[in-house]
Formats: sequence, C-alpha cells, structure tokens
Amino acid sequence: MDFVQYLPPLLRGAGLTLVICVAAGVLGSLIGVVLGTAKASPSWIARAISSLYVNFIRGVPILIILLFTYFALPLMLPALTFSRGFTAVVGLSIYSGAYMAEIIRGGIQAVPKGQSEAAEALGMHYFVRLRYVIFPQAMKIAVPPGIGFLIALVKASSLVSVIGFVDLTRAGRIVTTLNQEPLTTFLIVGALYFVISYPISLLGTWYERKLA
Amino acid sequence: MTLYFGDILPYLPVMLKALWVSIYVTLISFAAGGVLGIFIYLAKASRFKALQLFSNGYIEVIRNTPLLVQLYLIYFGLGSIGINFNPLWSVLIGMTLNNSAYTAEIFRAGISAVPKGLREAGTALGMPFHQTFRYVILKPGIRNVLPALTNQFIVLFLFSSIGSVIALDELTSTLQNLNSQTLRTLEIFSVGALLYFLTSAAIAFGSRITERLAFRW
Repeated sequence: MDFVQYLPPLLRGAGLTLVICVAAGVLGSLIGVVLGTAKASPSWIARAISSLYVNFIRGVPILIILLFTYFALPLMLPALTFSRGFTAVVGLSIYSGAYMAEIIRGGIQAVPKGQSEAAEALGMHYFVRLRYVIFPQAMKIAVPPGIGFLIALVKASSLVSVIGFVDLTRAGRIVTTLNQEPLTTFLIVGALYFVISYPISLLGTWYERKLA
Repeated sequence: MTLYFGDILPYLPVMLKALWVSIYVTLISFAAGGVLGIFIYLAKASRFKALQLFSNGYIEVIRNTPLLVQLYLIYFGLGSIGINFNPLWSVLIGMTLNNSAYTAEIFRAGISAVPKGLREAGTALGMPFHQTFRYVILKPGIRNVLPALTNQFIVLFLFSSIGSVIALDELTSTLQNLNSQTLRTLEIFSVGALLYFLTSAAIAFGSRITERLAFRW
C-alpha cells in the first residue's frame, strides 16, 4: 500500500489540531488567569463564582462539553453562527480555562505570603501587587503544570473529531475509509500525535531543570 | 426557547443504567490497569536495562497519544487483521492499558517519596523485610499516592465517555441517542453533565473519607 498519497491529508489534519490547540491554549490561559486570580482573591463572591465554574467543568467529560457547545449552545445563542472550528475552539477553551485556573491558583498560593504583605506594607494597591509582585513569581511556578496540561489538551482535542471538525483524528478516520487500512493509518496518526506532544513534554522537563 | 424537563423525565432510568455502564468499565479498567501499572513500575525500577527501556517507552507512547486513537487502533486496527473485540472489550482493554501507564508513574512518585531513612529505620528495628515493606513502605506509600490515584480514577471515569465513539452504550452515547429521540438537547446534555459531575464529586468525597478513616496514625 502506497502511504505517501495519504500523508498530506493527515499532515493537514495535524496542522489543524495544532491550530485549535494553540487557540484554545491561549484563550484557556486567559480564562485561567482571570478565574485563577479570582479563586485566590480575598473576595468570597469571586471565589464562589470561579470555584463553581472550575469544579463543575473539571467534573464533566470534555466530550460532553464539546457536544454541549455543538448541539446546545447554538440553541441558546441563535444570533451567532457556529462553524465546526469555532465550536471546537470554544469547547476546548471552556475546558482548558478550568484546568488553567486551578494551575494559576496553585501558582499564586505558592508565592510566600510575606511577599504580598511586604508589598501591602509599601502601600501598593491590590492589583499593583498582583501585577508587579505576585504574578511574576506565580507564573514561573505555574509553567511546568501548565505545560503538562497542554499535553492533555492536545490529546483531548482529538475529541473534536466527534463533532465533525477535520483534525488529525478525523483525517485518520477519513483516510481509513479510503484505504481500508485502519491499523497502519492509526499507527501513523498516533505517531503524529506523539510528534506534537512529546516535544512539549521535553520542553517541560527542560524548564523544570532550568528552574531547579 | 424554554426549558422543559418533563419530556426527559421518563428517560432518567435509562440514563442511570447507562451511567452504571460508565462506572462499571471505569472500575474494571482502574483495577486491571492498577495491577498492570504495578508491573510497569517494577520494570521501570528494576536493574535490567531492557526492562527499563521497555517500560519507559510504553509509558511515553501511551501518555503522548490520545485515548481515542488508542481505542481506534484496538477496535478498527486490530479488527482489520482479524483480532476482533466488541466495543465493550475494546474499551476495557484500551482504558486498562491507558490507565496502567499513568498509575505506573503515580506509584513511582509515591514510593520514591517515602524517605530512605524510614526503610533503614525499619531494618534497624529488626523488622523482617515483609513487615518493613508492609508497614513502612507500602502504607505511607499508598497514603502518598491516594490523592493522585483518586484524581486518576476521576479522569478515567470522565474519559470513559470516549467509549461512545466506538458505540459502547454508556452514558454519553445514551445521551446522544436520547437527544435525537426527544430533541430536548439542552435538557438532555445538562442532566447528563450533572450526572457526570455528581458522580465524580461523590468519588472525590468517598476518597477523602477513606483517607481519614484508613490512614489515621
């Protein structure tokens, strides 16, 4: 079987997997910074709202979140048109926001309390303290688990194939209907996921070693 | 649009039955994957280079590829060369293999977190090896890994939803069927999400109780 002709669609799928992961990773990190800060904040309302979101999303499968964004969200927001790619990014961002929030919260709370107290004693306002004293230290702590989550995100993104977005997994399914060779095809698909995900984990190991 | 749960109320028993299938495949693959994980860990911790290489490769390959692709390989891939498993068996095998790689890493972290001095102290007190292992290494080791194992159990439970993609009749695929039957999309998926959430919250709660009761000393 000549596999060369099936490689371009698989690589295209891999490219789209990368694109939605980067988009969802960035959006998820933004959600995570806001909710993670809220979870570590002194305001109980902010803590309650962010905890509700984070705990609920972390207790629901990503597939359910994606099916919800695909089937139910357009019913709730009839004014918007949802393409499959948009749905995929929205679903994955909702998902990664919750995990990133937990990671950022951990980072913020790992910064010694004296840092915040010293900044307060210097007369710095809460947000100034966060921006110049807490965040620079917290982000450094949050990077390794954040990288760990990115790997989970790449793997979870394979589920956008279920709502019909042609990512790497979906491309694999389409190719198998053409060549009738699922074993070889999915071995290649798996290898391509490994090629995306393993360098990220190496990056994490490198960063941790640099930090230590 | 208005929410109306009356239409889906009669289907609640069907959903709960499907939820049980999700829990059941999770329990089996968690147990089987846990046992396999111990062996993978022992291979990684052994003195033999070949065993270390194998278990490292196994762990990295499993942990860097999606469970969905692993299930496709088992269900469609092996099927194409004459090794046929039904959806239930494919999911059980896939989740067991997947879980074993993660639990092996959890065991490694937990055991290596038991300070070496403790083991030496056990030996110095004249305890025979099996006693040292049981009371000084295993029990604190299990206490170390219990939170991580609980987390892994919840993750595995949530990922059992992927079984729906290869037509295992668990909660997610039942929700999709009910959605196309009743067209109560919002209600079906909200109730489904709630069922998943409540189950994983119950698992977390149960684990915290166990930790309190079994590891008081």
